[in-house]
Amino acid sequence: MKMKKALIGIGLSLIAASGLAVADLTGKEAPDFALKSSTGDNLRLSEYRGDVVMVNFWATWCGPCRQEMPLLEELFSRYERVGFTLLGVNIDDDPRRAMAMAEELGVTFPVVFDNTKEVSRLYDVNAMPVTVLVDKEGQVRHVHHGYKPGYEEKYLNEVRALLRE
Amino acid sequence: MFIKRSIPLLLTALFAFSATAQDDMSQDDNLLLSEVVASDDAAAASKDRFRELDKDVQSLKKEVLDLNRDLFLLEEELLFPANSQVAFFISMDVGEYFALDSVSLKINGKEVANYLYTNREVDALLRGGVHRMHMANLKTGDHELVAVFTGKGPHSRDYRRGATLEFSKGIGAKYLELEITDRVKKQQPEFEIKEWE
Repeated sequence: MKMKKALIGIGLSLIAASGLAVADLTGKEAPDFALKSSTGDNLRLSEYRGDVVMVNFWATWCGPCRQEMPLLEELFSRYERVGFTLLGVNIDDDPRRAMAMAEELGVTFPVVFDNTKEVSRLYDVNAMPVTVLVDKEGQVRHVHHGYKPGYEEKYLNEVRALLRE
Repeated sequence: MFIKRSIPLLLTALFAFSATAQDDMSQDDNLLLSEVVASDDAAAASKDRFRELDKDVQSLKKEVLDLNRDLFLLEEELLFPANSQVAFFISMDVGEYFALDSVSLKINGKEVANYLYTNREVDALLRGGVHRMHMANLKTGDHELVAVFTGKGPHSRDYRRGATLEFSKGIGAKYLELEITDRVKKQQPEFEIKEWE
């Protein structure tokens, strides 16, 4: 009986450990990717080395994303000229819907399409939205799952701190 | 008279005393010396032992490192044996009639690589850069490579073209270059696959 419990315990802890190992990208090099953008150009994350990059995974069916995007746009337009880039990675199957929504919300930051979900898998996106902050060296520094009002303050402080480094 | 007699006696007594004292002292010294020598011997022996142990540990460490290196090389040879290596390179010449967007590679009907080129990367290719797009391990024998190029063709029209090459893989590494050139006469891009000698 004890043996069984111990085995189950070990199994569970192993599962938890493997889950954490995948989920925690903080402190590691940001996995590189190249995706097609709304302008037709292909954008590659590693080409933004030297900039602070926010990678925001979003979808048209996600309510909090709709709430968050205008705030991200504000952040982008404020800090773009001092070395801040925002890549909005859309995970919809149909990029046209994403483009319509981005237009409706007045988004000017680059939107790229991950319709094959390859990049989302790379970043272990298991919530919507997911916001990843990458520093000038290309290391993942902060990962936020989901969005709640007030998160924008956190983003602001983190972006400012990373820009100052 | 008595004094005269007693002086030599005293002198002899003093001499004798000093002699015995000296004897005692030298005996003590000898004892001490022997003790020191003994402890020195023990220390030297233990030092020697330690030195030997240290040497043993060092040699063991070296052996482990050597073994580790051998294992690493063996693993690398197993994973990427030089003889079965095939590398695929992309290059571009002029590129007036074609703006490259992506290349996808199929070997024996199976997609093995798909690469999206950014403007900077295309620019680098136009400046003479060569991109190693993919590396694979293939058995000796005949294989088929299909490369599909997508991008904008003449008059900014969407363009998609394939190039196929049947190649034979012998013993030794193989290098294939997928070259995009302009055919001025036809005002069309051309896609070629070349085998490096």
